[in-house]
Amino acid sequence: MPNRWLRVLVSAGVIIGAVALLFFATVQKDAQYYKHVDEVMASPQQWYGKSLQLHGFVDGEPDHTGDGLDYHFKIKNGDAVVNASYYGADMPDTFKNGSEVVLTGRLTPDGFRADSVMAKCPSKYTPSK
Amino acid sequence: MSSIGLFLILAAFVTASGAFAASIAGARRRRNSLIDGGIGLFHVVTAMMLAASAIIVHAFVVSDYRIKYVQHYSDDTQPLFYKLASYWGGLDGSIMFWVTLLSIFGSFAVYINRERYRLLIPWVVAVISVVEMFFLFLMVIHNNPFDTFLTAVPATGKGLNPLLQNFYMAIHPPMLYLGFVGMTIPYAFGMAALATGQLDDSWLRAVRRWTMVAWLFLTVGLALGALWAYEELGWGGYWGWDPVENAGLLPWFTATAFLHSVMVQERRSMLKIWNVSLVILSFFLTIFGTFMTRSGVVQSMHAFGEDRALAMMFTAFMVTTLTISFGLVIYRMPLLRSRNELDSWISREAAFLANNWVLLFGAFFVLFATMFPTLSEAIRGHDGRLTVGASFFDRWMTPVGLALLFLTGVGPLLAWRRATISNLRLQFLWPTVAGVVTGAAVRLAGIHFWSSGLCFALCAFVTGTIVQEFWRGARVRQTATHTDLFTALVGLLARSKRRYGGYIIHIGIVLAFLGFAGNGSKREEDVPNLRPGQQVVVAPYTVRYVSLSVTDDGQKQMVTAHIEALRDGKTVGSFYPAKWFYRNHESEPTTEVAMHRGLGDDLYLVLTAYSVEAQTAVLKIVINPLVNWIWMGVGVIIFGTFIALLPERSLAFATNRVPEGVVTTGLILLILIGGAATSLQAQHIEAAQTVLITPKTPLERDLQNSIICMCGTCGRKRVGECTCEVAAGMREEIAKLTAAGKSRDEIIAYFISKYGSQEVLSEPLDSGFNRIAWLLPYVVGVAGIGVVVGAAVRWSRHPHTPEPPPADPAANAALREKLDDELRDLD
Repeated sequence: MPNRWLRVLVSAGVIIGAVALLFFATVQKDAQYYKHVDEVMASPQQWYGKSLQLHGFVDGEPDHTGDGLDYHFKIKNGDAVVNASYYGADMPDTFKNGSEVVLTGRLTPDGFRADSVMAKCPSKYTPSK
Repeated sequence: MSSIGLFLILAAFVTASGAFAASIAGARRRRNSLIDGGIGLFHVVTAMMLAASAIIVHAFVVSDYRIKYVQHYSDDTQPLFYKLASYWGGLDGSIMFWVTLLSIFGSFAVYINRERYRLLIPWVVAVISVVEMFFLFLMVIHNNPFDTFLTAVPATGKGLNPLLQNFYMAIHPPMLYLGFVGMTIPYAFGMAALATGQLDDSWLRAVRRWTMVAWLFLTVGLALGALWAYEELGWGGYWGWDPVENAGLLPWFTATAFLHSVMVQERRSMLKIWNVSLVILSFFLTIFGTFMTRSGVVQSMHAFGEDRALAMMFTAFMVTTLTISFGLVIYRMPLLRSRNELDSWISREAAFLANNWVLLFGAFFVLFATMFPTLSEAIRGHDGRLTVGASFFDRWMTPVGLALLFLTGVGPLLAWRRATISNLRLQFLWPTVAGVVTGAAVRLAGIHFWSSGLCFALCAFVTGTIVQEFWRGARVRQTATHTDLFTALVGLLARSKRRYGGYIIHIGIVLAFLGFAGNGSKREEDVPNLRPGQQVVVAPYTVRYVSLSVTDDGQKQMVTAHIEALRDGKTVGSFYPAKWFYRNHESEPTTEVAMHRGLGDDLYLVLTAYSVEAQTAVLKIVINPLVNWIWMGVGVIIFGTFIALLPERSLAFATNRVPEGVVTTGLILLILIGGAATSLQAQHIEAAQTVLITPKTPLERDLQNSIICMCGTCGRKRVGECTCEVAAGMREEIAKLTAAGKSRDEIIAYFISKYGSQEVLSEPLDSGFNRIAWLLPYVVGVAGIGVVVGAAVRWSRHPHTPEPPPADPAANAALREKLDDELRDLD
């Protein structure tokens, strides 16, 4: 390799290329689509089975009977509503009717099965009204 | 009042622009009067920002709800501490807080450096003024904290959500801000060095301590955030790779790289381009982090709304900053080119270079992965927006972290320029043995090699390196000074504070990594439908659910589970995980985690759900091995940073004028006394079955909030909040006295005479002398700071040398380079 800069450029290109390849190879497994309820419910079939982060608002009081870890509720955004269920202990304290939540999980014909539920923190930095 | 505040912000903007113009003009024309004028205007900006801050703080204290910002983040029942903390609680105030801090730091930095770095100072003033102007501009145009209600003023405030009324949440933002804002000063000096062409070591020497202090605050801020998440949120972890968390981490990476990389420039005049780039990047990333968390460009659990206009302004500022900064770097490339080259890959320079690359990669990876949703949406359209979860970050950052840990050990072992084989053997032998032995032991114990086992092995390796450094250094000094080993250690630290303070910081890092390694063995059980008496085994603890109780203290209703835990058959203690429902916020309960902390692991208990009628509970039980080592590691890092920050001559006077052994003895005595004092502190006994008496009348509630529990171990909690026996007794007394028809003043007088002083009150009575008493600590504190700063400045001033004749700058620079080279080799 004659030129010093050429060597640097080629090495940089190889390294960046390798890293990018690794990155995109590993991202497939963990990547989730981030969608709002109305976007998904416009054509639910295309989303069945895909790993999603679903953003919406809790509609109505959640059904929290059963053994205390079982939750059934609806989330909506605009006009679209979808049934959702979650089984586990990590339900945020602010979860109630009207809370803004992000569910991570998969959409099935019976509704959305959430692996985790995250609620937005009490707002601190909101845009000026 | 608010109009004065707005005026001050506008005036500050104008004044800062004046400071900018005067400084640049003065620097280019070499007119001292202009430069001094610029500095003067710069200090005026600081005074204005302090005044504006005083106005908004005053508005909070008196609950002036005409100002929208105050009304939003405060209410009448909010304790004073949280009213003050609300200053930075919202967007507008946080920006003003940023500018205020920046102006204070800037004034201080300019003042102490005005003699020694005369050529750089005007450019420093100019750069800091521009940054101030940007944030002031934001406030004036967009987010004015002094906005008032034009028509009807609400009678009460909205108040800070109880989830945020928490010591950590009040202290964690200012710590982070001190770190973020602190990074602007090194950046300003770096830009000044680029602008003037003074690219030798002088600008590094000016910024070294600043960067360390800013880095320290960043570290503490990040640790506090993690600690808060761990203790208050109840999901059992401490770091979720949320965009807001990552925003604080990014500048930490580049600042760490900078702190190490400067050593190579000081030693061998290499990596100059790296150093200016790292300081520019560190500043840029602080602005980027602020941009990320306020503009809504990335979705975060911290619910920051979308603000397009703000995003645009930030983007414009960031693009301009990058262009000008790196443009200057390219312009100064001839001066930045190093005259020395890497002699060998097996050298300390190479280790530092590798360190730079790994940290930079870490920063870029976190940045890229955090911005991935925005990027994927930009490329693939709205439907293609993808996010990545915490597991993705963990998978990538684990090898990055382990590589950093490895380099921490290797760096001190390699010689400068080139390490010979015999040198390598001598240095690497014991640390490598320690690492391999630990690795084998850990493998035999059944721990997975990836990644916990490897982490433990590397921790042992690094510990071996550090111990070896201290040991060998102390032995050499011991032989030279003919003292005992311990005195030699102290003398070693005193002589090379930066180096050995740095090693102490590395010990702290090792401890923190121990805590991270424990994460691999974390165990969690979610147990539904527990009946009283039922027990669950989560190795190595047995957790027994005893009962559920509902109590009320006037401020909140508490549903508490009584849990008993055993380990190896022996009772470990009773724990009370709970859910609290604050008045007026009943739909947002707070989770109160119960924890048993230990060196080996934490038993972490959360009351997830319950049924009062059926007396059943749903418990979340998490075992977090080794997690407390993280917090202890941070403590050691803080201690090490203090040592490294000490001025060069600070311990010298002690060891020079006084026999060396005295210093050692004194230190030992101090440690013993300190240890004895802390062990004498009684444990705060939580009364298990205290039925909290609900205040029946508003007078009772008022008194419960005004009287302090005198048990001495709860940190002066109000009687209505403390759960110990003494507080229960005091509440009973209050109840009896109010039932007997006594007035408020009479009851307070009774308590004052009973406990002998006004200490029993949460706030001293508002009368003439007491107002002085209330004010006095602040006055004395401020005066004290003034005296200390003045004294420090006077003591650190060198005798005033006459100004050298103005020489040809090019020759000067070359001469200085040569001097630096020669001095370097003497070290």
